[in-house]
Formats: sequence, C-alpha cells, structure tokens
Amino acid sequence: MNTLLSFDKVNAYYGNAHILHDFSIDVKEGESLALIGRNGVGKTTFVNALLGQAKVRSGSIRLGRKESARWHPYMPAKEGVMVVPQGRCIIANLSVEENLLLGAATGRKGYWTVPKIYGLFPILRERAHTPGTALSGGQQQMLAIGRALMGNPTLMILDEPTEGLAPVIVDQLGDIIRQVNEQGTTILLIEQNLHLVARVSRRYLAVEKGSVIAEGIVDPEQIEQLQQFVVV
Amino acid sequence: MLGISIFNGLVYGSLLIICASGLAMIYGLRRVVNFAHGALYMLGAYIGYTLSLYLNIWFALLLAPLAMGMIGVLLDKAVFRPLQERDPLSVLLVTFGLLLVIEDLVRAFWGRGSLSIEVPALLADSIELFGNPTPLYRLAVIGLGVGSMVLIWAWLRFSRTGLYVRAASTDPLTTAMMGVNTERVNALVVGVGTALAGLAGVAAAPMLSLAPSMGADVLVDSFVVVVIGGLGSLGGALISAILLGQVQSFGTIYLPGLSAVLPFLMMIAILIWRPSGLAGNRV
Repeated sequence: MNTLLSFDKVNAYYGNAHILHDFSIDVKEGESLALIGRNGVGKTTFVNALLGQAKVRSGSIRLGRKESARWHPYMPAKEGVMVVPQGRCIIANLSVEENLLLGAATGRKGYWTVPKIYGLFPILRERAHTPGTALSGGQQQMLAIGRALMGNPTLMILDEPTEGLAPVIVDQLGDIIRQVNEQGTTILLIEQNLHLVARVSRRYLAVEKGSVIAEGIVDPEQIEQLQQFVVV
Repeated sequence: MLGISIFNGLVYGSLLIICASGLAMIYGLRRVVNFAHGALYMLGAYIGYTLSLYLNIWFALLLAPLAMGMIGVLLDKAVFRPLQERDPLSVLLVTFGLLLVIEDLVRAFWGRGSLSIEVPALLADSIELFGNPTPLYRLAVIGLGVGSMVLIWAWLRFSRTGLYVRAASTDPLTTAMMGVNTERVNALVVGVGTALAGLAGVAAAPMLSLAPSMGADVLVDSFVVVVIGGLGSLGGALISAILLGQVQSFGTIYLPGLSAVLPFLMMIAILIWRPSGLAGNRV
C-alpha cells in the first residue's frame, strides 16, 4: 500500500517550547487510523506542524511525493489532505453553502459535490443559506466534515470531532466517517473518545509527551485496553 | 442652495467611499492601518496628471488606477507581508514613513507647485438638475462612486475570489487550510485597495489643484469613514461616507468655524451609540 503521509523523526516547536520529539507516523492509503492521547501530548501540534503553524526544526514531512520541513497552510489541501480542525472553525460571515464552496478551493475533482454533501447531511440543505455559525454544534461538525470532503481528499484528518457533542450525534458522525472511509478516503482520526475510535478506526497510534509510544490494531471488543493512553 | 449642498455632499461622499473602501479592504485582510493611503491617493492623482498630458484624461482615469494597483501588489509583497508577524503599531509607523517617502518622491518628480488637470471636454458643460446648474463632471463622479461600489459588492458577493476574500477576512488560517493561497489573496486585495485610492485621486484631480499634501484631508476623512462604518466593513463605510459627505458639505456653509472638527464630532457621537461602528464586525 502507498504511504500518503509520513512524519520522519519530526521535532516541532512553538517558539522555544519543544512539543514533538522524534515524532514518526505513516498513514497508508485507504486505512482508517486513530491518533489517541491525552490533552496536551502534541496531537494538535502534529496537525499544526503539517500546516506549517508549528516550527519543524528537524525531521521531514512527506505528503504523497512532496517532502519538506516547511509547509504552508494551503499546501496540504492541494496534495489532497483536508483537515477538519479542532473546534470546527466554521467561518462566521459565510453561509452554510459558502462554507462548503470554500472547501472546493483547490478545484480537485472527484465524487464529492455540493448535492452529494447535502445527500450525506440533509440538514445542511435545509439550512443552506443561514450563516454557518448559526448551526448547532453537531450541525457545525457536519458542515466542517462536508467542507473538508468538498476538497475531494485522499486523506481526511479529523481533530477531536466529538468535542462537546452529545453521544447520539457522536454515533451518527462515526457511522458517516466510516462510510466515507469505505468509499476510499483515508481517515486519520485524532481522538480521546475511545467509543468513536472503536466505531471508526482499525489501527491506532498512541501519543505521549510528543512521541508515538505504542501502536496496534483496534479491537472494538477490547477497546478498554486503550484507556491507559487517554485517561488522566 | 439646499440642493447644491446635498449634491456637493454626494460628490465628496463618492470620492470618499472610493478611497475609504480601499482602506477598509486593506484593513479587513491585512489588519494594517495604512497611513500611506492618502499619499497613494495623491500619487494616483499625479500619475493621472502625467498620463493626461501625454494621452488624455480618459486614459488617465483607466491607467492610473491600474498602475496604482501594481504598486499596491508590490507594497504588499515588499512591506506588509514581511511585517505581518510584527505588532500593529510598528506596521503603522512604517506606513507613516511610506507616506513621507511618497510625498518627497512626488515633490522631486513633479515639483512643489500646484498643478491641475482639465475637466474632459465631454463633461465640461453643466445641466439643469432640480433647478440648479449642475456640472456634468461632478455628476459623473457620483456615477463613478456608485459604479465602483456596485462592482466591488458584486465581486465580493458572487465571485470565487470574492468568497475567498470574505473568508480570509474573518479566518485566514482556516481559509488557507481549505487550499486557498491567502498570501495571493492578500496581495490582490492590497492591489485593489491601492487602485481604489488612485482612482479617487485621479477622479478628484479635475475638481481641485494637485499638491503633494493633498492626501492628508482625504486620509483623515477616510479613517473617520472606516471607523464609523465598522473596521473593515464595506457596507458600513458606504453609509458613513454618504453621511460624512453631507456633514462636510453643510458644515462648510452653516458652521464654517466648526467644519474642521465636525467629522470627529460625528465619529464620537456614532461610536458612543455603536462602539464597534455602524456595521459591527461584518465585512
């Protein structure tokens, strides 16, 4: 299988704070991978390093055929990597539909179009012309996922998508993320909610103190074994 | 008398909105308080003057804003972009320095004396409007103001790039994450904003005489317009430019002693009523 995204011994910093220590990860085409760990272990810094928002002082980041230590925030999308950011980041002065159109900025063609997203999340069609931030938390998360899909990604990275959402919505989103994965989009789920990990992911990497300390196959029957990586 | 005042207020309001919308756009995207904007307006007028000597005023109206647009793109790449991590105050000081540099360059190239551009022959006449003789050129300036606002609005509202501009003005990082090269969007917007300053400058030139210091009043009034309208908001700027045009026009007639401070009184009154400006924080 092809490797879509790889970090090779990346050391990333915010100013002088050393956050990622020799962080290595390989994401293979088609898989559904979870990155788990407590708050503050560097999960979001991993995303920020990819977007060029955390400074990478050594190591390399490879996306498809491109390799660099310095990525600009707009580059991953062009390589087919779309991020569903933590906190959703729906753009306040754009309507629901305009937020979706923004996701298509790279012009990458593929399965996903505005009508297809509305088919996946019918509520978004009903609210197409309301401001994106007028939606409920769960609906905003749907919009953030829909917006990322509009870029027809080969890899979709979701950063803590369940934060602040009701369990029934989490299950709903989990089913949809799995469905998207089954259609061929690679999924990298950054999560502390093991219930969602069990529902969505087949492989996991556990992060502690800025490094990957364990990896393995997700067994939904024995998900509690991963508790040690997320419980404080 | 009343009709003439309202009309002159509209003419000045039109110039202001062209100039101030450029200022508002640059602030909206770059978060730069651009003190050089008035000097760019002045530079636009001078470039227009030279073009009108060698070609004619119609070319000047078209080419001077284009040239200013290119200067704006350079300004973004050479100044605003390298300084984007700095605190706003030092960027403000740099733009103030630019103002001085541009004024001195203009003095060196065009001299200190005042120059003037002829009103184009086609628009030199006056027509009767509501019983008052109305110079056609001034009428055309109002048309230019309305036309450029409609174009900018349509561009922002209906085009792809306009969508990116609106998105980047609220959340540049997320916009970039979606694959938009926000640096290019910024350069474009600073270019358009500078072109608008230049357009206002050439359009104003036939109504007044050119002097290197001519940007100062317009700069102050444009700031008042942008602040009253709500920082970075075009809709708010439109309304406040029309208001300020009227205040200036009536002020010079009925309260000549106070006319210089009237814009600020108006600004204070409106900010007490709505502290974040007429439009709040929307673009």
